[in-house]
Amino acid sequence: MIARIFALALMVAPAVSQAQGSLNMLCAPASDWCEAIAAAFQRDTGIRVAMARKSTGEILAQLRAEAQNPRTDLWFGGSAETHLVAAEMNLLQAYTSPNMAGLHDWARELHRMSNGRCVGVSSGAIALVWNRELIARRNLPVPRSWADLLNPAYRGEIQLPNPNSSGTAYTIIAGLIQLWDEERAFAYLRRLHANVNAYTRSGAAPMQAVARGETAVAVSFNMETISQQQAGFPIEMGYPEEGTSYEVACMSIVRGARNLAQARRFYDWYLTPAAMDIGPRVNQFHAPAHRDATPDPRIADMSGIRLIPYDFALFGEAATRRRILERWDREVGALPR
Amino acid sequence: MSLARAPGLPAWLLAALAATLLPWHMQQDGVAGLFALRAEEADAASALGQAWFHGRFWFWPVLAALALALPGALARRSVFLLAGGGLGLLAIVAQGFAIGIQGWSWPFLEAWFGPLEERQFGMGLGGALCFLGCLLLVTDGLALRGFFKGDRFVAGAVGVLAASILIFTAWPVGTMLLQMFTPREELSGLTALGVRLFDGKIWGLGCVTGRVHCGVFWNTLVLAVSTASAATLLGLCFALLVTRSGFPAKRALRLLTVLPIITPPFVIGLGLILIFGRSGVVNQFVQSAFGLELGRWIYGFNGVWLAQVFSFTPTAFLVLIGVVEGISPAMEEASQTLRASRMRTFRAVSLPLMRPGLANAWLVVFVESLADFGNPIVLGGSFGVLSTEIFFAVVGAQQDFGRAAALAAIMLLVALAAFLIQRAVVGGRSYVAMTGKGDAGLPTPLPAPVRRLAYAVALPWALLTILVYGMALAGGFVRVWGRDWTPTLSHFTRAFALEWSASGQIIFVGGAWNSLFTTVTLAAIAAPITAGLGLLAAWLLTRQRFAGRTALEFALMLTFAVPGTVIGVAYILTYNLPPLEITGTAMILVACFVFRNLPVGVRSGVAAMSQLDKSLDEAAITLRASTFRTLRTVVLPLLKPAIVTALVYAFVRAMTTVSAVIFLVSAEYEMATVFIINRVINGDYGLAIAYCAVLILLMLAAIGLINLLVGRRQLGRREGART
Amino acid sequence: MTRHGAEVRLEGLGKSYGPVRAVKPLDLVIEGGTLVTLLGPSGCGKTTLLRMIAGLEQASEGRILIGGRDVTLLSAGERNVSMVFQSYALFPHMSVLENVAYGLVSSGIARRAAERTAEGALETVGLAGFGARLPSELSGGQQQRVAVARALVLEPDVLLFDEPLSNLDARLRRAMREEIRALQQRLGLTVIYVTHDQAEAMAVSDKVVVMLNAGIAQIGTPHALYTQPDNVFVATFMGEANHVRAEIEALEGDAARVRLGETVLHLPHRGLTPGPVDLMIRPEAIRIAAEGALPATVARATYMGAHTEYVFTTPVGELFATDRPGGSPGEAVRLALDPVGTVLVRP
Repeated sequence: MIARIFALALMVAPAVSQAQGSLNMLCAPASDWCEAIAAAFQRDTGIRVAMARKSTGEILAQLRAEAQNPRTDLWFGGSAETHLVAAEMNLLQAYTSPNMAGLHDWARELHRMSNGRCVGVSSGAIALVWNRELIARRNLPVPRSWADLLNPAYRGEIQLPNPNSSGTAYTIIAGLIQLWDEERAFAYLRRLHANVNAYTRSGAAPMQAVARGETAVAVSFNMETISQQQAGFPIEMGYPEEGTSYEVACMSIVRGARNLAQARRFYDWYLTPAAMDIGPRVNQFHAPAHRDATPDPRIADMSGIRLIPYDFALFGEAATRRRILERWDREVGALPR
Repeated sequence: MSLARAPGLPAWLLAALAATLLPWHMQQDGVAGLFALRAEEADAASALGQAWFHGRFWFWPVLAALALALPGALARRSVFLLAGGGLGLLAIVAQGFAIGIQGWSWPFLEAWFGPLEERQFGMGLGGALCFLGCLLLVTDGLALRGFFKGDRFVAGAVGVLAASILIFTAWPVGTMLLQMFTPREELSGLTALGVRLFDGKIWGLGCVTGRVHCGVFWNTLVLAVSTASAATLLGLCFALLVTRSGFPAKRALRLLTVLPIITPPFVIGLGLILIFGRSGVVNQFVQSAFGLELGRWIYGFNGVWLAQVFSFTPTAFLVLIGVVEGISPAMEEASQTLRASRMRTFRAVSLPLMRPGLANAWLVVFVESLADFGNPIVLGGSFGVLSTEIFFAVVGAQQDFGRAAALAAIMLLVALAAFLIQRAVVGGRSYVAMTGKGDAGLPTPLPAPVRRLAYAVALPWALLTILVYGMALAGGFVRVWGRDWTPTLSHFTRAFALEWSASGQIIFVGGAWNSLFTTVTLAAIAAPITAGLGLLAAWLLTRQRFAGRTALEFALMLTFAVPGTVIGVAYILTYNLPPLEITGTAMILVACFVFRNLPVGVRSGVAAMSQLDKSLDEAAITLRASTFRTLRTVVLPLLKPAIVTALVYAFVRAMTTVSAVIFLVSAEYEMATVFIINRVINGDYGLAIAYCAVLILLMLAAIGLINLLVGRRQLGRREGART
Repeated sequence: MTRHGAEVRLEGLGKSYGPVRAVKPLDLVIEGGTLVTLLGPSGCGKTTLLRMIAGLEQASEGRILIGGRDVTLLSAGERNVSMVFQSYALFPHMSVLENVAYGLVSSGIARRAAERTAEGALETVGLAGFGARLPSELSGGQQQRVAVARALVLEPDVLLFDEPLSNLDARLRRAMREEIRALQQRLGLTVIYVTHDQAEAMAVSDKVVVMLNAGIAQIGTPHALYTQPDNVFVATFMGEANHVRAEIEALEGDAARVRLGETVLHLPHRGLTPGPVDLMIRPEAIRIAAEGALPATVARATYMGAHTEYVFTTPVGELFATDRPGGSPGEAVRLALDPVGTVLVRP
């Protein structure tokens, strides 16, 4: 241990790369998953992976700050919109993997949309989430649709994330706009406001509050909710009858990557069924992008959910995003408590 | 002796050797060869090598400046030292900024000098040492001219301190603030700034007139004021109980109040949720007993305030205990012999004497509350403050660095205003009644009403603290925290498992080992640097008189007012590009720790130094000890307790910092706190708390170490006392 | 250790803190091997002047030369001066021997050799065998001697004392000042000595520099200052003196004819011209004598053993005097003024 500390102390300059080279990866999903992927890749290829887990927003902030002198080679995970924003900012480079053929259409669609600068790796849908015990104790109905959430019985029981800080919240709102239209979506949000007890800053917070019984109902991504279910919390979920929005998590190679060959190697490696099967083993239940990935009963079947056709290109644009956020601030955020 | 006759020579040799022999730029794989004059690759060569063999003309001015300084170094000519060193610094900085990784850094340079095929990376060992050498040439020159009392060590120390504050605080913060002017879409720089600064989300006053949320500025201000007031009051109660009453468990109370300082963030917030949350024990009890629903009151202002008071009362206590102990019992005894009652003595003598200390404690807590990130993020709900707003302006859906910069500027101004008001009201740092001579006399016991009040406030609070910690730390030992209370140690094995390989070597299997080693190592590197620089600064500020001393003091305290988030973003913005390219290295983390925690080192140093008779170091100086020898053999041995305190505090702070390091950790250098936050975000509280528990134990060991050494000081004092 | 101390020459040396003048620009020469005292009330600038010579304060203007070498811009350690501090400033964490050897080790002498020399120095001050103790284990006088030994051992060009005896009781003070004087004479040291106690200054000094309001009031031997003060301040600061107004009627060679009330005195004129003048009369210069010129009445008489202290009422005001026992209160007497203790001073 002392030797190890000593070695660390000496590593003030970047460490010597080994024979197979190394890969600097920023990873957005849960730490367990990121670590499992990195370890598996290292085992399979001998390439040393230097991986840091950060939230999607932090990764984009870092890539922007590093833009002139990138330290990162590969960006794994995080919503498609963010990858598209990064592509729009010219932070990513195009790559077409030979393993693209086995992917679902939604994954390939993003590759096409971004001119090859990212590819979908997994997907998840927005679900209505509730605390089984709290609902029973307070005699509340189980929500089945977006319209149900307007029920005055839920007054002060619903928690939502704040789109100013949360990508999840933005996906929810953008989905509602595409489900109806912008006017109707905002009219809905204004009516919903009466039932909302807080707009949290983090996207996962409302779902965690439901799990701990701090609030009865929330809107959240299904895969995160499944993880909490598996941890033993009394949390249930269902998909709104009207249809729901979804996100695709992407993977991309950073423009100016110093270890381009290794980054491509990872890109190819992850687009295989074997790599996509790692997630469920570490309690991560995103729907995989590969058609031949081993099915897992705990993973939601995306084809069984009524999904809104989501325009990642339009709603990923910075201008659209700003316009929607400003309107939300004006019409929803400014409403009396 | 010959060196004494050629005072600039060591500095000159340092600069010259660095420029001729050492690789100028940062090397990807560490410093492989030290003799880099004839390196094959231009980027691996020394400045002279690059200029001579690789045609990198921009190093010639640096070398010319060094040549100019040589006569000064050999013949005691201050003009040459000043000119050569100054021009050398200028040339190093200019070339570093002018030529970056894509050739010329600014278009106008290309227009003037024509296109440049070359590029350069960030400065490395050679560049840094050459810079240092030139800096010392300048300070030696100034000392020769009679500045700093002709003391080269003092001149050099002031130069190094000023340069490091300039490089590691002023420059990044400046860079960050300039982001305010980034144009946004169709808006020009100034309009964008206006929009960012005069945003309704910052200044809105909706909460006064209606039921709308107020702007984050008002939220922050109200929160900071109420937290500071409450924490100061509580801290005073604890300080009075510990020093002026027969309270039995004083040591335990002291420990209890120190606990929050060494606690990683989130623990207090999580503990409060478990107790006061909607499904927490209090709510469930009230509901089952009275059928009342207490609801979600803990989220928002109330909860954040409560958590902050928990977090910062110890800080106030630590400031105030020194103040209360410092009041000379003789004054209180004098008051009593003048027929004042105990109550009147307390009201008319003790309390006014404490006033500057109270103001000081209040200010410290105010600024800490301003910069606090962990508590608002856990308990804030819809309630936003400046620090969280800055964080989400950068990482959230807005992706607006400019907005973050504008908010950071507002926050800085608030902190500065508080600082200035405190200075104006209190008038400097005067701790009245500190005579420094041992007073006979016993501390007057508290008047009964005050004692009762102090007990009434402090005891429930202490119990609550135990409860919060118990609840929080229990999370590490049960299966699912807040849900399944079956005891288990599985979280610890997941984090800290060890295995033995066939050959008998230990394999660190647990997921937390890596970040734990990194954290301990980096904190251990940063702590001595922080303490050293802090004490050096304190020594300069208390013992030396030189032009710009007030400015230096102010700059040193300024880092305290810059919130961690701002520093974190500022650091990656600044150090990702040449001339100083240290993003992703351990160096950036160490620099961040050192300069974030420097004010603490300075404050403890100043306090200790003012107890030390000034003629002791003057005696050493007249006995022909160099200033450095004086510091080493006289000042440092007598300052031992302050050194230990500063060391441990710097160590502990480095281990528990979150807001700044979130942006700075890289794949290789992950910090414990960031690891913990990631688990918390993922809902894996068990592992996070298990890790926290291990960190707390680790740091308690460090605190134990202080107590051991501080105890030894009192022994030394008795020996040292003059008869 | 016997050597002749160096000459100290101050040329236009001054110090100001912003607009406040701590020491007005002054010239002063201190001959090698002499003991010179800087004497004055607190706040007169004497300590600042000493600290400038030591190199602990930076001069705002002027030059300091020690043994002909300009040391104005040198740091304290480079000047070859040593200082004994008011608080002694013994390092509490070092033994007596380590304290004394400290300067030698700082100068680069090997520890073993330095400690041998230090033992010699301790012997010089009569503290042989005390080397292993801590300063806190010594009495005040012993600590004082350690401080002197520590300064002496470096064989400095100049030895500086900053009110070295003020922490001692009266008896010890007298003994120590004699020891310091003897040591200075024996070793031929140049010593600059700051004090506010005129008796101490008189006892030890070759020359005394009286300072007032950041400037020099007068320089001279103790005797000269006592008998020939330049002004009222020096006269009253250097021992007791009666201050009366008088008038020079005419100059007669070296003497002046001075009218004091009804009486006429003949005193050295000291460069004064006819007109109003101040007259300083030492108490011991006033004698009760039948042939005395000044009529007086005894107001009070206090028997002090060796002498009696009188207060006389005279036409020129009350006079304080010491004389043999004789007069009793209410008695009319005549007073004679001894020219040695009666001196004209510029008004």
